[in-house]
Amino acid sequence: MDIQSCVNIQTEWDIVAARQLGRNVAKELGFGVVDQARITTAISELARNIFIYAHKGRVCIEKMNDKGHAGLRIIAIDSGPGINDIRLAMEDGYSTSGGLGAGLPGVKRLMDEFQIVSSPGKGTEITAIKWIR
Amino acid sequence: MNSLIINYIDNHKEHILNLWVEKMKEKADDRVLRVVSNQVFVGTSREFVEMVTSNLNDENEEYSERLRDFAEKVVKLGWPISFVTEGIQVFSTIVYDGIKDEKLINEEDEMKLFYGLHKWTNPMTNEIVNVYSTTWERTVSLQKIALQELSAPLIPVFDGISVMPLIGAIDTERAKQIMENLLNGVVKHRSEVVLIDITGVPVVDTMVAHHIIQAADAVRLVGAQCMLVGIRPEIAQTIVSLGINLNQVTTKNTLKKGMEAALEIMKKKMIQVGEISEDSNSKII
Amino acid sequence: MRIPILKLYNCLLVSIQWELDDQTALQFQEDLLHKIHETNANGVVIDLTSIDFIDSFIAKVLGDVINMSKLMGAKVVITGIQPAVAITLIELGISLNDVLTSLDLEKGLEKLKQELGE
Repeated sequence: MDIQSCVNIQTEWDIVAARQLGRNVAKELGFGVVDQARITTAISELARNIFIYAHKGRVCIEKMNDKGHAGLRIIAIDSGPGINDIRLAMEDGYSTSGGLGAGLPGVKRLMDEFQIVSSPGKGTEITAIKWIR
Repeated sequence: MNSLIINYIDNHKEHILNLWVEKMKEKADDRVLRVVSNQVFVGTSREFVEMVTSNLNDENEEYSERLRDFAEKVVKLGWPISFVTEGIQVFSTIVYDGIKDEKLINEEDEMKLFYGLHKWTNPMTNEIVNVYSTTWERTVSLQKIALQELSAPLIPVFDGISVMPLIGAIDTERAKQIMENLLNGVVKHRSEVVLIDITGVPVVDTMVAHHIIQAADAVRLVGAQCMLVGIRPEIAQTIVSLGINLNQVTTKNTLKKGMEAALEIMKKKMIQVGEISEDSNSKII
Repeated sequence: MRIPILKLYNCLLVSIQWELDDQTALQFQEDLLHKIHETNANGVVIDLTSIDFIDSFIAKVLGDVINMSKLMGAKVVITGIQPAVAITLIELGISLNDVLTSLDLEKGLEKLKQELGE
């Protein structure tokens, strides 16, 4: 019984919309204050990556229930340039945009599960899950 | 077929019991025999065999209740689940062999007998496994809660100074809990200096050190500072030989020294009021 | 929407009261530097009590503005970072080293005075 809602990312304002959606869903599911901040921050990082690198894409938030264990799944999809070297992109401090380079490895640390699929020229799909403790 | 089995068991109860106890004693490992006396073993075995038999007579409801009670008793005795399920198998083998040896059935019916026994013991095994796993799940969840309650409290000692004693091993889950308690406590009590006492932490490896450094960083972000106290010689040795850099964190070997340093930071001082002597009645209130 | 910057003696006070979007954050960076230039302030307190999350972009803008202020001769103290925000920042890998912090506005002003040697 997964319920999904999505936000299309095209402008900077959509980043705000995406993280507000995420925060509301996290609150609804009963995540604590710290986990809410973790989820909101992760969504913000992923949405901003789409905005900066792919210019447009989509962030979806899904409620999950696995054997009575509730969680929240973030799916960030774009059809942008893709990531050439995923291992490099997952390294702390690596950035091609002049940012802090904390984005992807940071999201991985903030969430419980993290998966990235990317092919150069085709796009990127990132899935991240947080379970309720 | 059922009545044949019941009759056989009823008529040979003692014989089956003895045989069963004998066989199970061979199988029982030290674990079982060490925890229960011979008397208890035989007593429980009797109960077990009786219970197994009663399955054929009793009403379903009454039986499942007895089965649950029995399973819980066995769990308390510390019988391993493999031993109990094996017991059921052994029991049915004894009955099967017994009936066959006494030639109570002809060869064609052997299959039927086998199937009848199977149909009878299967739900029993299921129920016992069920009770075992429920008991275990309950234990695990209780222990989880107990462990969470064990998580460190932040104790305000003076205005602006708090202490957090850490006891026991620290894993990632617990480290997160500790970090939350620490930061919420610091903000709630408006502590400017917080002393983390690791006297009770048995091992400080890279992971634990990493969590401590993270905690110290986070404490700095909310606007306070962190001091690590209770560093025993062996902890200092592991920290250095693992190449962990704790330079960003102030460290002291005892809580007492840490407290002195904290008071200094807060520009506070402890002074002794009056002389402590037997003939003077002056007391500090 | 612009973030108000208040002047108090030789200090500037900023209290960020709502979620920062990228534009507001960048606008704030610009406004603060202009205000420092205008008022010759030598200290700034930025209070983040009402902020419930900071991502790497906002952290970078904040870190940048602190360094820029330093270049212009003004010390910056950040106050009221919430526990949840501190934890997410650390997990993101952002520790804002060398940034002065305090528990609240009051302690922030005290720290600033101390740092400025008053």
